[in-house]
Amino acid sequence: MCSMSMPQAAVAGLEPGFRGVICASFGLTGDTAGYDPGAQPRHELHFDAATPAALAGLRSALERSNVGVRLVLSGPPAEIRAAAALAADCGLLDEEVTLLEALAGPRVIYCPHCHTTTIMQGDGAEVECQGCATTLAVTDHFSRRMGAYLGYSAYAEEAS
Amino acid sequence: MTITALQSSVHPAVEGGLRLQVTNISAQTDSISSITLVDPSGGRLPSYVPGSHLVVQYGSGVNAYSLTGSGNAPSEYIISVLRVDEGAGGSIAMHQLEVGDLVFVSYPRSAFAPVSNASHHLLVAAGIGITPILSHARAASDRGTTSSLIYVYRPGAGAHVDEARELMGSALTECGDRNSFQKVLTEQLTTQSLGTHLYVCGPVDFMDSVLNQARELGWSQARLHSEAFGAAELDDGEPFTVNLVRSGVKLDVPAGVSLLETLEKAGKTIPNMCRKGICGECVLPVLRGTPQHRDLYLTDEEKASNTTMMCCVSRSEDPELELDL
Ligand code: FES
Ligand SMILES: [Zn+2]
Repeated sequence: MCSMSMPQAAVAGLEPGFRGVICASFGLTGDTAGYDPGAQPRHELHFDAATPAALAGLRSALERSNVGVRLVLSGPPAEIRAAAALAADCGLLDEEVTLLEALAGPRVIYCPHCHTTTIMQGDGAEVECQGCATTLAVTDHFSRRMGAYLGYSAYAEEAS
Repeated sequence: MTITALQSSVHPAVEGGLRLQVTNISAQTDSISSITLVDPSGGRLPSYVPGSHLVVQYGSGVNAYSLTGSGNAPSEYIISVLRVDEGAGGSIAMHQLEVGDLVFVSYPRSAFAPVSNASHHLLVAAGIGITPILSHARAASDRGTTSSLIYVYRPGAGAHVDEARELMGSALTECGDRNSFQKVLTEQLTTQSLGTHLYVCGPVDFMDSVLNQARELGWSQARLHSEAFGAAELDDGEPFTVNLVRSGVKLDVPAGVSLLETLEKAGKTIPNMCRKGICGECVLPVLRGTPQHRDLYLTDEEKASNTTMMCCVSRSEDPELELDL
């Protein structure tokens, strides 16, 4: 996970009053490289997950920008929705935000048993927790606080 | 009291509205007067959304005028009227009003409302377009939302300048010519934080150029709010006939009387709001004939298809129009 001080990192190289395109991607492979902003200046941001620190970074970048800026978000649906909600809160309008949903991208899964997060490839339904080896069933519930999808013990019912 | 006070028949556009008394008339400029209207029984007037207008009856006609207050629990309505000598007569009749006269007016109507979650309002006004913009500025200040105002007027011909100065302080930029305005506008359009919305009111070509420039600088449509104003009053036009196919009725529309008024007098209820071709409320389906489009609402393609028309201002190129009514 990204541990550097996100708000500063996110605005590094971003001129105050930016009115180009901010491309923010979430997830291990999610990227906005395929998005063509045309002749507009472009500012790239990448976050492993939509953690509070990542969203704070995105907020700093938006607060530094002026009317005219556009935002492109790519990554797993729940994460870019969290980012889109933040963008709306900063005053960006729906028509100024483009969502590129990556359906099968790697996701961060939170284990409620040992509080470890595990990175999961692909769009499977289960993953083994790297902290306690519990087989976690993956839910669609994305926690903005954790920046991760919640997992639960897949075979809890069958436990002896 | 003048003749206008004795008007006996209430125009359909102001029916069910208010009967108010003129308590003050003050000259803003050589050609613009502010008229203050109150409830003769001393009551409070209905609150209104900033940017609203009143439809006011003068003699047998009606016209719409923007309210200049914040709209919050008003004890009076103040409108400003520009005298247009070659207009349909409304502005001249309004300028003949005297203190004590009674007039019929509609309830305030909103067609230029502010965006409630905007964090800043960039206001742009030209000439008489200052009236609804002043309403927005006052309401923003009441609500604690910041705003800035660019006001373009010919030297000596600016209405409400003192009020604008007092209200806005350093957030007001006054421009006396197009060049200095261009510079200020470009500067403002490129330096706004993300919660800003733009409101512009003035002559149509002025608004078009402001809105086009904003779009070129990346402002999305949902941030742009405008109200056409000071569009020249329309000429009387030629008489024509409408054939209401579903009702099986033919009506004559005389010169100087709108199709909307003609329909209302014949007992038809047509939704309407601005009565000046701006809001799009009074749209009617056309079955046959070529309307003479005089509105600011329909797009060029819609006008060219001749399947709809705005009956408050538009007339007919042909002697007869067939309407689906
Ligand atoms: S009433 Fe507004 S366009 Fe006709
Ligand atoms: Zn675990």
